[in-house]
Amino acid sequence: MTQTTLTDFRAAPPAGSTRRDRRRALYWSYFFLVVFVVFFLTPPIYMLITSLKTSQEISAASSPWWVFDPTLRNYTELLTSSVFLTFMRNSAVISLAVVIVTMLISIPAAFALSRMRFWGSATLATGVFLTYLIPDTLLFIPLYKIFAWLNEVTGIEFLNQWWLMIIIYPTLTVPFCTWIMIGYFASIPKELDEAALIDGAGYFQTLTRIFIPVALPGIIAATIFAFTVAWAQFLYPMAFTTSTDQLVLPVGIVTTLIKGDVFNWGQIMTGALLGAAPPLIIYAFLMDYYIAGLTAGATKG
Amino acid sequence: MLEGGRGGAGLRRMLRRKSAIAFLMSLPLILVIALLVLYPAVYAFYLAMLNKSMERFVGLANFSFLFKRETFWMVVKQSIIFAVTAVFFKALIGFLVAHFVHNVPAKGQRKWRGMLLIPWVIPPAMSTLAWLWLFDPSYSAFNWLLQRAGAEAVPWLGDPYWARFAVILVNVWFGAPFFMIMYLAALKSVPEQLYEAAAIDGANWFQKMWYITLPMMRNIIAITVLFSLIVTFANFDIVRVLTAGGPIDQTHVFATWAFKIGIESNDIPLGACVSLFMVPLLAIAAVFILRDVNRRGVEG
Amino acid sequence: MGWSRRRFATAATGLTAAVWVRGARAAGSLRVGFWDHWVPGANEALTKLCESWAQRERVDLKIDFITSQGNKLLLTIASEAQARSGHDLLSLPLWYAAGYAAHLETLDDVMQPLLGQHGAVVPVVEYLGKQAGRWIAVPATAGSQMKGPCARIDLFRRHVGLDLTAMYPASGQPDKALADKWTWDTLLLAAEKLHKAGVPMGIGFGGTSDSVDSVGAIFAAHSAQLVSSKGDITVDSDATRQALEYCRRLAQFLPPDVYAWDDAANNKWLLSGKGSLIMNPPSAWAVSRRDNPKLAEQLWTFPAPRGPKGRFLPGLPYYWGVWKFAKNKSAARSLLTFLSQRTAIEQLVQASGGFDIPPYARLRDFKVWTEAGPPKGTLANYVPRDDQIVSIAGAPAPPAIATQMYTQALMTKMVARYAQGKEPSGKVIGWAASELEGYARA
Repeated sequence: MTQTTLTDFRAAPPAGSTRRDRRRALYWSYFFLVVFVVFFLTPPIYMLITSLKTSQEISAASSPWWVFDPTLRNYTELLTSSVFLTFMRNSAVISLAVVIVTMLISIPAAFALSRMRFWGSATLATGVFLTYLIPDTLLFIPLYKIFAWLNEVTGIEFLNQWWLMIIIYPTLTVPFCTWIMIGYFASIPKELDEAALIDGAGYFQTLTRIFIPVALPGIIAATIFAFTVAWAQFLYPMAFTTSTDQLVLPVGIVTTLIKGDVFNWGQIMTGALLGAAPPLIIYAFLMDYYIAGLTAGATKG
Repeated sequence: MLEGGRGGAGLRRMLRRKSAIAFLMSLPLILVIALLVLYPAVYAFYLAMLNKSMERFVGLANFSFLFKRETFWMVVKQSIIFAVTAVFFKALIGFLVAHFVHNVPAKGQRKWRGMLLIPWVIPPAMSTLAWLWLFDPSYSAFNWLLQRAGAEAVPWLGDPYWARFAVILVNVWFGAPFFMIMYLAALKSVPEQLYEAAAIDGANWFQKMWYITLPMMRNIIAITVLFSLIVTFANFDIVRVLTAGGPIDQTHVFATWAFKIGIESNDIPLGACVSLFMVPLLAIAAVFILRDVNRRGVEG
Repeated sequence: MGWSRRRFATAATGLTAAVWVRGARAAGSLRVGFWDHWVPGANEALTKLCESWAQRERVDLKIDFITSQGNKLLLTIASEAQARSGHDLLSLPLWYAAGYAAHLETLDDVMQPLLGQHGAVVPVVEYLGKQAGRWIAVPATAGSQMKGPCARIDLFRRHVGLDLTAMYPASGQPDKALADKWTWDTLLLAAEKLHKAGVPMGIGFGGTSDSVDSVGAIFAAHSAQLVSSKGDITVDSDATRQALEYCRRLAQFLPPDVYAWDDAANNKWLLSGKGSLIMNPPSAWAVSRRDNPKLAEQLWTFPAPRGPKGRFLPGLPYYWGVWKFAKNKSAARSLLTFLSQRTAIEQLVQASGGFDIPPYARLRDFKVWTEAGPPKGTLANYVPRDDQIVSIAGAPAPPAIATQMYTQALMTKMVARYAQGKEPSGKVIGWAASELEGYARA
C-alpha cells in the first residue's frame, strides 16, 4: 500500500465538497446510529415496560409497547420474596468471592509472566490463551462427574451447593483477566521496576507498590469483567444446582419464575431486569474502565 | 545493568530466587488451569469411552454411535451454520456501527458508545428472556405490530427456519456491541493522515475502507472473529432459554444437545462425546486465525 | 383480583424453597422434593400437611418445590441419581420411578397396609409403580393428573354445533348417543370448523410432557405401538402410519407453532381467548377462575375422543420415591404413610381444586369434582370412568426405553417430521427405529 496505488485514482475533487461530504456522512451516521440504538435497546426497554404491568393488563392484551396502568407491585413482590432474595444473595456472594479469588490469582501470575522470564513462562502465557479454546460447554460434563465422584468418596456434598460455583467460575475469569493484565503490565516501562529493584525492593514490593497503582485502570477493568462474567453465568449453575435455595439469579429466574401461569410475565421481566441491574449499574458508573479493559487487547494487537 | 562484584553475587542469588518467586506467583494460575480445565478436558476423553452406566470401557463405541445418528449430523451442521452466520453478522454490524460512531464528533461519542454496548452488559440469560417474551406464540409484541400493519403473525419459535433466525438474531444482538467497541478502538488508531492523503488522491469511501481501514485492522478483526467463533460455537444460554433446541431439534447446538442427552437423558458418556466434537472444529479455527495473525505480525 | 399478590405475599410459606420445622432432633431430619403444583394454593396445603406430620414426629423437615417447567424436575432426578446424593424423598412422574428403579428403595412394607386400607390402585398406576414384583415408589396423589380435553362451551356450540354440557353433563352420566359419536374423526371435523372460525384448537406437538401425552394418546387410540413390552421395536406398522397421517391432518387446523409449544403454551393459548380446546388438566381452568372469571365460566373438561382401539385418555400419574442412598428412610416411610391416609388425600385433592386424582380406585368419589365451578359440573367428567382407558405415552415399552422416548419426545418429533417437515412416512419411521435402537443401548 504505497503512494503509487493511491495516485491511480481520479483527480482530486474540489476542496469545498469534502466539508459537504463530511456533513452528509455525519447525518447518515446519526440516522443509522439511531436505527441501531433502537435495535439494541428495544429488549431492555420492553423488559422495563412489561415489568410495570399488572397481570390483568397483560391478559387484556392491550398494546404491549405501552403501560396504561403502571404499578410497582412486581418489584415490591419480588424484592420482598425470600426466594428471590436468596437468589440475589447467592449471586452477590459468589460474584464478589470470584472477583477476589480471580484477582488474587491473576495479578501475581500476570506480573510473573510479563516481567519475570522464567522457564516455561512463554508456554504458560500461550497456555492461558489456549484455555480459552476449551469452552465451559465441554467441561461441564466431566466436571459434573468429577464432583459427583468426590461427593461419593469424601462424603462432602459438592453437587447442589452454591459455593461450588466459587471454585468453578475462576476457570472462566482467570484466563481473560490474566491476559488483560499481562497487556497492562507489559505497557509499564521497565525502568520503573528496575529503579525499584536497585533501591532494594523485592519483587512482591515492586508489585504492590508500583505496578498495582500504575495498572489500576487495567485492574479495575479486569475486576468489572470478572464480576460480570460471574454474575451472568448460566450453564454451570444450571447443571450443578437444583434446589431452589442454591440457585443463582439467572438460573433462578429462568427456572422458578416461569410457570404454567400465563400472566406472570410482568414478574418475570421484573426479575430479569433486577437480574441485569448489578452489571448495568456497574457499567453505568465505570463505563470507561469497562471499555478500556476490553480494548486493551485491540490496540496492543 | 547491575554492577559487578557484590552486585554480581546478588544478581545470581536474585535470579535463583526470581524463578522460584515467579513460579510461586504463577502457581495458583497453573493449578486452576491444570486441575479445573486440563484435567476435566482429558477426563472428558476418558468419559466418552465408557458405556452408558459408566461401568465398562467401550472404546470408540460412543463415537461410532454418534456418527450413525442423523440428529448428530444435524447438530453439527446447525452449530456450524449458527456460529459462522452469527459471527459474520456480528462483525459486519460491529464494523459498520463503529464507523458511524467514529464519524460523530469525539465529544458525543461517549454517550452513543454507552448506549450501544448495553446488550453486551446484560446477562444473556436475562435478555434472552425478554426476547422469549417478544417472540411468545400468543403474546408476541412483534406479532402485535405486524398484525396492526396488516401482516400475518410469524411463528418465531415454532417454525424451524424462523426459530433458527430468532436464535441467530438474539446472538447477533448480544454480540455485535462487543465487536463495535473493539473496532472503534482500532479505528481510532488508524492515522488520520492516511485518509486525508487518500481523499486528496480522489479515493471514495469504499476505496478508503478497502485499502486503508481493512488492512490496518486485520489483526483485530482476526482476533475478534476467532474469539467470537469459539464463544458462539459453544453457546448454551441463548439456545437453551429461547428454544431449548426445538422445534424438532432444529436449533440444537453442541452445548444444548450435550446437555439434553448427557444430563437430562442420563447418558453422561454420550454427552461428553458430543461436547468433544467441538474441539477439532475450534482447533482448526484457532490454527487458521492464529497463523494469519502471526504472519501479519511478522510482516508488521 | 388480589390473588396473585396474595400468592406471592405468602411466598414465605408457600413457594419458598426451604420450609424448616424446628423440633427436637430426636427423629432426625428429612429432605423432601415435591413437584411444584400448577394450581395456586396446592403447594401450601401439602406444606401444611407435612408440617403437621413433622411436628408430631419431631422431624426436621425441609421441603423443596421443584417445577417440571424446563425439565427441571427430570434434571433433578437425573442428577441426584448420578451423584447418589440429594433429597431423601422425591416426586417422580410417570416413567421416572420405573426408569430409576435400581436406585429406589423397595416400599412394599408401606404399600401393603395402604392397599389393605384403600383397596387396589388402578391398573396403570400399578403397572408403573411395581417393577419386578416390588413397589419401587408409593403412588402419589399430588400431581397425578389426566390431560383430557378442556374446551370452550360457547365456541363449540356456535361453530361446531356441539353442546359439550349435553354430551358430558354435570351429572356425570354421558349422553350415550353423543358420546359414541365423539371420536377422533369428529374432533378433526370440529378442528376444521373452529380453525375456519378463527379460534383453532391447541394441541401441542412440542417436546414437553403435555405434547407427548397428547400424541401418546392419539397413537394408542390408533393401536400404534413403538416398542413392545419385551423391548422389540415395533414402530414400523400400518397403525403407526395411520396415527401419523391423522396427526398431519389435525395439524393443518392447529396454530403453526404448536411444534414449539411447552407445557405453558397451551394454557396461554386457551386463556388468551384465542383457543377453543386444549388437552390439559384443570390447572388452566383454575388459573382462569382467578384471572379471567368470564372465560372460566365457559370452560368444560370432558373425556377424550374414541379411536379405533378405544377411548384413551392421556394420564400422568405421580409417585413418591425414596432413594436407596437416602439418609433417613424411616422418616420418609412414615411421611409417605401419613400422606396416603384418606384425610390427607382428601385435603390434597380439595386444595388442588380437583386437579389431583387419587391413585386408589375407591377414593375417586370425592365431592370436589361434582361441586367445582363455575360453571357447575366443569370437572364432573374429569376423573376417568366407564369406557375410558388411561394412556401412558410410550406404553408398553420397557421403562428404560420409555423414559428416553419421553424425555426425547420421540413421538411428537415423528409427528413434526411428518406433518411439518413433510418427510415421507417411511423415512420418519426409519428414523424413529434408529432412535429407538439408540435408546435401547446399555
